[in-house]
Amino acid sequence: MAFGGVAMVLGVLLGIGEASSPGSYTNVQFTWLKLAPSPGPFPSGFELVMGTLVDPISALVLVVVTVVGFLVLLYSIGYMHHDRGLPRYYAELSLFLAAMSGLVISNNLLEFFLFWELVGLCSYLLIGFYYEKPSAASAAKEAFLVTRVGDVMFLLGIFLFFFVYATKGPAGTGGWAASGFVFVHGAAPFVPVGTGNATLLTIAGIMILGGAAGKSAQFPLHVWLPDAMEGPTTVSALIHAATMVAAGVYLLAVTSLFLGFTALDQTVIVAIGGFTAFFAATMALVHPDIKRVIAYSTVSQLGYMVLAVGAGFTMVGLFHLFTHAFFKALLFLAAGSVIHAVGTQDLFKMGGLRKKMRLTSAAFAIGGLALAGIPPFAGFWSKDDILSSVYSTLPSHPAYWPAFLLAFAAVFLTAYYIFRAWFLAFSGDKPRDPALEHAHEGPWVMAVPLVVLSAVAIGGGLLVYLPGFAGLLLHGGGTPGIPPTLSPTDLLLSTASVLLAVGGILLAWRLWGNGRVAPLPSSSAVRSVRQVLLARYGMKAAYDWIGTKGVYTLARGADFFDRFVIDGTVHGFERTFGGLSDRLRRIQTGVVSDYASYVVAGLIAVFALMLLLAPYLLSRLGGA
Amino acid sequence: MSGLPFAGFLVLSGALLAVGLFGVLTRRNFILLLIAIEIAMNAAILNFVYFAAFARAPSPGLPGQAIAVVLIGFAATEVAVGLAIVLALNRVKGSINVAEASELKL
Repeated sequence: MAFGGVAMVLGVLLGIGEASSPGSYTNVQFTWLKLAPSPGPFPSGFELVMGTLVDPISALVLVVVTVVGFLVLLYSIGYMHHDRGLPRYYAELSLFLAAMSGLVISNNLLEFFLFWELVGLCSYLLIGFYYEKPSAASAAKEAFLVTRVGDVMFLLGIFLFFFVYATKGPAGTGGWAASGFVFVHGAAPFVPVGTGNATLLTIAGIMILGGAAGKSAQFPLHVWLPDAMEGPTTVSALIHAATMVAAGVYLLAVTSLFLGFTALDQTVIVAIGGFTAFFAATMALVHPDIKRVIAYSTVSQLGYMVLAVGAGFTMVGLFHLFTHAFFKALLFLAAGSVIHAVGTQDLFKMGGLRKKMRLTSAAFAIGGLALAGIPPFAGFWSKDDILSSVYSTLPSHPAYWPAFLLAFAAVFLTAYYIFRAWFLAFSGDKPRDPALEHAHEGPWVMAVPLVVLSAVAIGGGLLVYLPGFAGLLLHGGGTPGIPPTLSPTDLLLSTASVLLAVGGILLAWRLWGNGRVAPLPSSSAVRSVRQVLLARYGMKAAYDWIGTKGVYTLARGADFFDRFVIDGTVHGFERTFGGLSDRLRRIQTGVVSDYASYVVAGLIAVFALMLLLAPYLLSRLGGA
Repeated sequence: MSGLPFAGFLVLSGALLAVGLFGVLTRRNFILLLIAIEIAMNAAILNFVYFAAFARAPSPGLPGQAIAVVLIGFAATEVAVGLAIVLALNRVKGSINVAEASELKL
């Protein structure tokens, strides 16, 4: 707690410091490993540094991490008070905060990767906090394994970038080999894109994207995040909504600023982001679990950020990361407040909670409005900025069209699913499950974070027009999209997206506003669509199939090969010679006449040999 | 000397060797075995004597005849040792079948 408080104060101070002197950065580093220059692959030597780097974007994310972290720790006092294993909980959460802060202020990719793995570990531990629950244990494993796929790709990406840039770099640095993977600051990327092997750089960029997709739950590695909701809600708010899952976006941002993506990479990233934004939103439409609805929404919003970074609007993506962290943490903590009060996550059992939990219901509504992108709430400014920024690139990049349209359509879905959740939980006269009648607000430690986060969710978006805050979103020279422009096209686009969002809210109100759950229309189309969405398009089943059948079959094959081919060869030798010696041993009978016959046989053999060789031997004798 | 038939003696000693070997390979009775060995050995002795008769200067036949005499002595020694083993075997096993004595121990 105290640790979190100190961290928040330090984080905010750093943020203010950066904001007051835009564009500055502080790099503290020491040499961790140094090899002298020598002929070979690294003529100017090899040096690995570790250190901390505070620049505008890391200060921005640091503010998010420490503030949300502190509020979540505060909230945990109320939310977790009845849980066992609290020392473990706070230890893991503190480790997470430390690792996440370390990740944000890493000054080189390898150090970044170390902290990246640490936050992954914390995520695993905290998803499995209720480890005696089989579903939680398997969700933790799933998260670990799926993100591992991304982590391996990330590491390969680092190696590839190193391979390309090892001896190439800005004047005087001598490449990564001499300067140690460090992010080099300035307006331009480390090396202008295209100065290395373009194919390798493209693959490296895709690998980095894979790492980011694993961490930020982008398609096709998104499956773990909804299951990660098995952890405590506070963990979902901090790790799986506000900070750790944003690390993937941060990685993409850092890579795009300091290394640069090739045009092909950008197209792929945009496609993945736009598709994920829509794809995840569809799965949130029907889910009965309040936390999973918000989890799908997180996947979807991360898709927006990836889309923005991919299209080249890195800072716009980070701006959305900033606002999203607050309003999504708010949504999760409000949902946690509901879960704390009613003891279930099933939306269909809730209802009518507005009267019992006014603060929570207001907080959830504010979070929902921010998520839906209704002005002047925070989400409007950042999401709309993403849409208009990407729209501005469409004439020059027609390949971005599908992603843009999907992301645009997802605005409607977002507004619908989040208000479906709100109406299901809060509207109506009384809970549909009578057991939930006793619901009431939590203690003040749970209320304070809701109030603070609500304030940021309302006003956080407007911060972008403050010169100081905008300074945090500056990098080098110009940063397109910050602050959002207000051309007629942008206004038209904003109006359209707001109308879509309002339409989504109205539809949710029309369907669920009366607090009663009507039986599903019997038309089979709706039912089957719902089934498909609840089954997550079968992707989880497919991954399970790959895991249980595909990999298992492969393992069986390898086992067969090992057992019958390798062991078979070894045992075959053993059996052959064992059998031979067994038979050879049998001639040793101990009976004299048998030995005599061997002697005779040998004698005959020698004579026969001599007869055969006689001509040769005689000729040799004659020659001598 | 030259009247001695050359091929006939070789056939004789070859036949003796064959008879001896046949006996060695087929007999299980220790005494018959010894006799067979004696026959085979005598084929060799006969050869020594015979080739000594054809020998030329500087050592006309003497080494061959000497070896033959030594070999006769060897054969006698061998029979003496062999018969001693037969007696010992008979005392231990109650049989002089060589197949019984296959274990290198009593």
